[in-house]
Amino acid sequence: MIKIFIDEKAIEVEKSTTILKAAEQAGIDIPHLCYHPAFPPEGTCRMCLVEIEGLPSLELACSTQVKDGMKVSTKSERVIEARKGVLEFLLAEHPPDCPICDKAGECSLQDYYEEYGQFENQFNEFKEKREKKVKIGKNLIRDMERCILCRRCVRFLKEVTKTQELGVFERGIHSEINILDGVLVDNNYSGNLAEICPVGAMTDSDFRFKTRTWFLKKGESICPLCSRGCSIFIEYHEGFSRFTLPKRVYRIRSRENHKVNGFWICDIGRYGYSYIDENRIDKIIVNNKEGGETITWEKMVILLAEKIKRLYYIKKTSRIALILNTWLSNEELFLINKIFRNDLSVENIYFTDPPEGEEDDLLLTSERSPNKRGAREIGLDLKPINLETLADKTDLLLIFGSFMFDQFNLAEIKSALDNIKMKIIFATHSNEMNSLVDIVLPMSLIAEKEGSLTNVDGIVQRFSPVLMAQGECQPEWKVLVNLAKELEINFRYYSQFSSPEAILDEMGKKISFFEKKSE
Amino acid sequence: MSPEFSDRTKKRIDKIVARYPRKEAAILPVLHLTQQEFGHISDEEEKLVAELLGIKPIEVREVVTFYTMLNQRPVGKYHIQICSNLSCSLLGAESLIDYLKEKLGIELGETTEDKKFTLSTVECLGACEQAPCMMINFDYYGHLDKKKIDEILDNLK
Amino acid sequence: MEEKLLTQHFGIENLFKIDVYLKHSGYQAVKKALKEMKPSEIMDEVKAANLRGRGGAGFPAGVKWGFVPQDIDKPKYLCVNADEGEPGTFKDRYIMSHNPHLLLEGIIIASFAVGIHKGFVYIRGEYETIALRFEQAISEANKEGFLGKNILGTGFDLNVFVHRGAGSYICGEETALLESIEGKRGNPRLKPPFPASVGLFGCPTVINNVETLSNVPQIILNGAKWFCQKGLPKDGGTRIFGVSGMVKNPGIYELPMGTNLKDIIFKHAGGMKDGKKLKAVIPGGMSAPILTADEIDIKMDFDSLMDAKSMLGSAAIIVIDEDTSILDVLKVITKFYSHESCGQCTPCRVGNSWINKIVKRIAGGKGKKEDIDNIIRLASNMLGKTLCPLGDAAAMPILSITQKFRKEIESYIGN
Repeated sequence: MIKIFIDEKAIEVEKSTTILKAAEQAGIDIPHLCYHPAFPPEGTCRMCLVEIEGLPSLELACSTQVKDGMKVSTKSERVIEARKGVLEFLLAEHPPDCPICDKAGECSLQDYYEEYGQFENQFNEFKEKREKKVKIGKNLIRDMERCILCRRCVRFLKEVTKTQELGVFERGIHSEINILDGVLVDNNYSGNLAEICPVGAMTDSDFRFKTRTWFLKKGESICPLCSRGCSIFIEYHEGFSRFTLPKRVYRIRSRENHKVNGFWICDIGRYGYSYIDENRIDKIIVNNKEGGETITWEKMVILLAEKIKRLYYIKKTSRIALILNTWLSNEELFLINKIFRNDLSVENIYFTDPPEGEEDDLLLTSERSPNKRGAREIGLDLKPINLETLADKTDLLLIFGSFMFDQFNLAEIKSALDNIKMKIIFATHSNEMNSLVDIVLPMSLIAEKEGSLTNVDGIVQRFSPVLMAQGECQPEWKVLVNLAKELEINFRYYSQFSSPEAILDEMGKKISFFEKKSE
Repeated sequence: MSPEFSDRTKKRIDKIVARYPRKEAAILPVLHLTQQEFGHISDEEEKLVAELLGIKPIEVREVVTFYTMLNQRPVGKYHIQICSNLSCSLLGAESLIDYLKEKLGIELGETTEDKKFTLSTVECLGACEQAPCMMINFDYYGHLDKKKIDEILDNLK
Repeated sequence: MEEKLLTQHFGIENLFKIDVYLKHSGYQAVKKALKEMKPSEIMDEVKAANLRGRGGAGFPAGVKWGFVPQDIDKPKYLCVNADEGEPGTFKDRYIMSHNPHLLLEGIIIASFAVGIHKGFVYIRGEYETIALRFEQAISEANKEGFLGKNILGTGFDLNVFVHRGAGSYICGEETALLESIEGKRGNPRLKPPFPASVGLFGCPTVINNVETLSNVPQIILNGAKWFCQKGLPKDGGTRIFGVSGMVKNPGIYELPMGTNLKDIIFKHAGGMKDGKKLKAVIPGGMSAPILTADEIDIKMDFDSLMDAKSMLGSAAIIVIDEDTSILDVLKVITKFYSHESCGQCTPCRVGNSWINKIVKRIAGGKGKKEDIDNIIRLASNMLGKTLCPLGDAAAMPILSITQKFRKEIESYIGN
């Protein structure tokens, strides 16, 4: 560690770090546009010039390494003037179309102008004519008038996806970033381009003009759409009076996590968020009851516990079957294992998950659920269902999720389920499965609950609710804890589980894999 | 039909590529040969070069659009590039450019209808002692005036 | 008459052919260096000769060679900068067309001194005939055993290849030149790392100008002391001054470092063309700040010109006469830099284009009072703030012209 001074503030930093990173650590923001921590510094935007005592010219903060005793000024008059100068150049040919720019509110150029610009426009020349609003990828709209040529997009496609759909053509003021002869950006990570573009040159048509960025709140979460478990931000709208909310979630963005996904997420995770708002159920449904009798969760849990207890007392818990999935959290799977396998000796436990999909060598795994690894580490056998024998063995069937549809058609499921006395589904969405069962219990999604997931590499990641659970929706862990308490087989043990955190603590004690990870 | 290099050019390219530790480094010499063989470098030739050097066509386009000597569009049999830089303009390049435009009946960047001449300006040719000067294909002509331009062009068949 | 080190044999017919060159004590320096000297001795000699780079920056060549790490497990490269794009400059063209083997000798000796086995000569694309001639010289030298494997039986190997540019001024900037040889757009690289440690293909690389290397054989044959005596103590040797513009006899003049500019124009280049009055001189290629007629009584060496807030650069002298409108000069200059900016960094990309647009507008009779101050402000915002020297190269002449000829430019702006 060495000591440097930034704006007279003494800070201790790693020897090999840069001025920009050191300043960041000290909470000092040095404006930058071309620099992105995922790539080596290019030093082309010239926004991050700072003054270093003893050096005649301004130096780049993004690429200059710190030296012991270095005195850096990021706010001297010279530095501010230089920034202003660079901004003036950047804005000279930049269109003043912020009101209709989708990036407004999260545009670096806009922010920096607010902070360092505020000058009168002195550009009185003709502007270069450039392409506006051109589709260059499935969800990508490019606007060359707004482009500041930071080349983040080009570098991303060259260094990360190695697909190189974008290049820099021509030179000087005529330089432009473009695709080659209409060949669109086509890779599973294209959405990152709109995210890393510091200005409105690359916007995402999935999000474009759906709302304004400043109306959105964001919460940290984990992408459940494959077993990588990328860190994400869920950005949602809370709605306001003159705006009836058609949906809550407007976009998913990547969240930096160097253990898992670095800076990126894939397009499957980015654009596959509609399930959070579409077609959800939020009430307990009891089928075959005339008049739609309502039932509270308390009564529901008692009713379910009664059914199980009856089988328990006549030593017929072997007639219970469970269909699980690996969208369930570590805690939920642990509880299920504990309650049904350990306490009740239930053997018929099956898993249905979304079918495997394509994987790539960047982030996407073939497993399209987030917690297969967790299920295995807990000791669960990811056994597939045998629909033909299921009915013969089962009097009480608890189904989690509707992934059976991915393997069987409705008729197959119906005929298998028809002969089972009692069928209960823990469901998040409304679908035809729900009509085949006796009771439908509305469940929260990962975005709405708390827990942890174990990703493909064995990294246990905790998540917190970002969105409010809707209506009567409850998280599975809570229902399971209540059920276990109601069963009275081991009331005191389950009483300690007031939160997923408490369950994970217990897992750490019981399962060596989770030992250190529960911290 | 997609373009193909002649056997002779292919052999030359093999020799050139061998000079560099990385194949793609040969792109400029290969593009010079491409232009020599096909007259200009269209997207078809870009693909050919990309395949030959094991790079993506877009990388070829990035290079082709950077260097002014690489023509993306066909040029005439004689490409006249007259210097418009300082030493030449001090000595009247401007009026010679106008003269050439008038004589050929074309604007800068255009090609005569008979495809014989293309006229462009060029930055300093490094022959300032002969200013005003121009380059026709790769031959330099210096100490130009209107009369000399007439003679030079008349001698080009 | 001054002694010439580089151009002395230029008058000899077919000097570019190796047999003629050999008859005029050709390759003696290579023989001496490779057979009688150790690499370190060569490097010391060149350092002591104070041979400063002839491309423009004036960095001492020997010191540059010394930066190359010797204990490294990577190939090392020599790149010869024969891009000669600086407007007004044509000296390297003369050397390569008249005396290519002199340059080759310099290349061989430099490579031997630094431990380099492969060299690329980056010749600007427009010099096709010169590239062909140089390739011919390389193949002759290969045949005669001055290049290739086991040169002169010393065990030293060296291969030299010509790499032609394709129309880009910025490729004369050393890191852009490296990018160009690597097959990319000529975008200059961020420094550090410097080419001496991370250069061509990521390997240690020496980049020297044609004229710089062509001086090396004489230093080897006659020693550093002798070389310094031919120029100035801190700035050894002669300089090939290229004179163009409004003089009677434009051309190259090899003269001792430090020769007076006035003498070069009025004695050597025959004075003003058509007896016109001198208005201004650009003393070191277009990037050098302009000197007014009153400022030309000056020694042409790196330090003297720096003291006069200009620069020796490539020693290309462009002479401007009284009939020339300074606005036309400014128009040409700003058009050139705008055209040649690679476009990767903001101030150069936008600044040059913006200033050129203002100048064109003034020339079109639509100038505004605030334009001159605006040009100065914009050029100042480029100066020292760009990634590579092109920003400065543009800002310096623009600033010097607008400041020194402000009145004249104002006269083109109506009320």
